[in-house]
Amino acid sequence: MTTSIASRSRVERLSRRSRRIVAVATVLGLPSMYAWSAFWTGTSVPAIAWGWAVFALMGVTLAGAVVLYRYVRGRADLADAGLDERERALRDRAWILSYQVLATVVVLLGAAVVVPVLAFGHSVTVDAPLATAVAICLGVLLPLLPAAALAWLEPDPVGED
Amino acid sequence: MARAPGRVDPILYNRLAVLRAERGLTRQDLADALGVNYQTIGYLERGEYNPSLDLALRAAEFFGLPVEAVFSRRPFAPMSSQLYGSGVDWPGSGS
Repeated sequence: MTTSIASRSRVERLSRRSRRIVAVATVLGLPSMYAWSAFWTGTSVPAIAWGWAVFALMGVTLAGAVVLYRYVRGRADLADAGLDERERALRDRAWILSYQVLATVVVLLGAAVVVPVLAFGHSVTVDAPLATAVAICLGVLLPLLPAAALAWLEPDPVGED
Repeated sequence: MARAPGRVDPILYNRLAVLRAERGLTRQDLADALGVNYQTIGYLERGEYNPSLDLALRAAEFFGLPVEAVFSRRPFAPMSSQLYGSGVDWPGSGS
């Protein structure tokens, strides 16, 4: 995407290290929120004591998504229009990395269900709240993954002339 | 296929930064001429991206040089040593 130096925002000048922190925090924020809630829900600890963290973790994913989308600016989309050859190569690598991450998560989730059943004879119950949490996490994070992967992969930005 | 950005080898050395400076061009100027993002020029100069054959040929054509004068698999010798070490009689060289 042919952006000029003058039009670069502060987000576009983020170092790779900063982008990687944002990408990981964004992807982990929502699942962490559900895990945090599941841990405390049903305990005698009042919600006022732990509820703030729920909003904070949701906010991490929300704010991170805004930063990632502003950084990527459509470069993770599948359309080639406006992308040069480096950006297309980077976009392809980002999609490959996204698939690898997704495949790993699917395998781990599958193993978490199958292993207790087959290896230990336990029964695993997938109730509505758990299914909803997984569905929301996938629904929110799947479209974000290529942008997060691109932000993770791209080297440090080039300085001014 | 061009080497993906962020990978380190195989390294393709180039003289883009020197040629650009010689002609007083900014990265943006060169990027506009070659039809790429100015960041791509920066990554090329830093050796963090290897161009496709098409882009390499376009860059060489833009500078009016053979492609091997712009890109090489081996590090380039400094231009000064190439010029002054080759017996060329340059004004002010004292020879």
